[in-house]
Amino acid sequence: MSDLRIIDIQKRYISAQAREENPFMLHPVRLAIREGEFFSLLGPSGCGKTTLLKLVAGLLEADGGELWVGDENLTNVPPESRRFAMVFQQSLLFPHKTIEDNVAFGLKMQKVGKQQRLKAAREMLEHVGLSGFGSRFPDELSGGQQQRVALARALVANPRVLLMDEPFSALDPGLRQEMRELLSRIQKEFRVTVLFVTHDRDEAFALSDRIAVMGEGKLQQVGSARELYERPETTTVASFLGLRNILGGVIENGHFASSDKIMEAAVHLPLSDGDYFMVIRPEAIKASENGQSGHARVRGVVQEMKYGRGIYSLIVKVRKQLLECVLTIAQAEKTAVGEPIDLFVDMKEVWFLKE
Amino acid sequence: MKKHPRFLSLFLFIGVFIFVIVPFVPLIFTSLSFGWRWPDVVPQAWSLRAWEYVVNDGRTWQAVGISLSIALIVTAINIALAIPAANALMRYPVRGKWLFEAIIFSPIIIPPFISVMGIHLTFLRLGLTETVLGVVLAHIAPTLPYMFRALMISYQTLSTDWEDQARMLGAGAMPRFFHVVLPHLAPGIVAGASLSVLISLSQYLITFIIGAGQVVTLPILLFPFISGGDPGVASAYSLLYAAIAILTLIVMDAALRRYYQRNKATKEQAKGVKP
Repeated sequence: MSDLRIIDIQKRYISAQAREENPFMLHPVRLAIREGEFFSLLGPSGCGKTTLLKLVAGLLEADGGELWVGDENLTNVPPESRRFAMVFQQSLLFPHKTIEDNVAFGLKMQKVGKQQRLKAAREMLEHVGLSGFGSRFPDELSGGQQQRVALARALVANPRVLLMDEPFSALDPGLRQEMRELLSRIQKEFRVTVLFVTHDRDEAFALSDRIAVMGEGKLQQVGSARELYERPETTTVASFLGLRNILGGVIENGHFASSDKIMEAAVHLPLSDGDYFMVIRPEAIKASENGQSGHARVRGVVQEMKYGRGIYSLIVKVRKQLLECVLTIAQAEKTAVGEPIDLFVDMKEVWFLKE
Repeated sequence: MKKHPRFLSLFLFIGVFIFVIVPFVPLIFTSLSFGWRWPDVVPQAWSLRAWEYVVNDGRTWQAVGISLSIALIVTAINIALAIPAANALMRYPVRGKWLFEAIIFSPIIIPPFISVMGIHLTFLRLGLTETVLGVVLAHIAPTLPYMFRALMISYQTLSTDWEDQARMLGAGAMPRFFHVVLPHLAPGIVAGASLSVLISLSQYLITFIIGAGQVVTLPILLFPFISGGDPGVASAYSLLYAAIAILTLIVMDAALRRYYQRNKATKEQAKGVKP
């Protein structure tokens, strides 16, 4: 097995000024990425995700820690000898080389014969849907095509790990969708291990087997998309994933009371007494009770209604707290901005976390 | 709006014509005339005497050879010096960067005569005067700044991402330089080399002082004819000098174009095949 293991890799600021506050650019990170896994680093800009990627690549030198692939220690191996490949935000195709020569570059560096490497390049171009483009030059291709070539170039030398640094963020949304599908298909076909950096949670959710949410130079939480979204461990993770309904409160004898007293309900999870944050996914709030038990009722005023892809998303003001919920079109048509509304929070669907 | 550029280009053309083309006319006339005097507008008698003298004199071709070889050696040394210098100053956080730049640019700020006097004394002690090597070394001072400047700008526009990308594809230091850095620097190298060659070709004072009349380049050969000797021969030499300078520029430009054309040829082919 050749899993990628990151053992306490860290990076400190070089500049002296930062020393007093927070000397870490990247706090020690420990991660194991399985062979063939699609693993994403998700976080806002400046959270250290690109730093971590460049440390894994070897383009930045770590201040401590080790990097292993299988039973091979790569900590002190220079990037050109790690047999990793990387796709950057820009395609970075060599402008003076043809598409074919660009794709074959990695094999040329491995001293593969000309006929053989050009053949491999053509095959790889076919995989990314660009057969016949081999003799053109990079500036004759569109942005999306260039990024496909960059992907082909990265994969042609059969890398142990494919590192990707926000590779689709410079493309327009439609193209981004297309590239995600292409990448997903190719990743499964070649069973390549991918370490993918992005700030776009939809992108991470759509592509990844597992995701690490990063923030402030630390790994906040690692898990599958569903785990992260339904069971965030911290409010930082929850709010980064777009969960804005976070209520502070207290649990006593299996009963939750929010500190702003807008709701009180029985807790369905076996939790000990103490201070908690309740995270309510917008989908867990309904406009009618459906006759089921276990719903907590809150009354508020509709403050904003937005239509988006077949559903309405509403912002409802309950005293001082704003709650975000999604309603079907039929439900939304019964109400309007400024109208009072009764909301039912499905207590089986909420999540509690302790800070 | 559309007429403005046309007017401008006409104006430019007239300017170029008056200041660049016209001065060559009297040079050509003088070199081909026999006793061309005021108030004749056009020479009354024609003669190939000056050209025969220039072409048949063995010293001419020797001087052309020496001038060109000095210029080319100087340029090669400049490239070898300027690439690492520009790389270091543009890529690394060098302390006192301005100081290094000031030192490199000083030969074109300080009058050459001043530095040459000092160089001359040193070279006398080292036995480098009256040698081609001494002249080559002395020519580096006024030419290196131009090469360095051209390469510095080339490096400025070369993001390290390109090298990182090549690195991630398994390219070591040498392949990275030849496949990524050098192609990017090529236009800068040609720009710097053209200036370096032209400036080296036109050096009189430095060559005269360091070479002490033993290293005869074209300007050294030309000078006595201009300062009162024979205007006909001087004109012929001037034209020869201009021809060599222009030819060198054209050759270098063609070399760069050829360098890019190697790939473009296949590109044109591909375009032709495309429906």
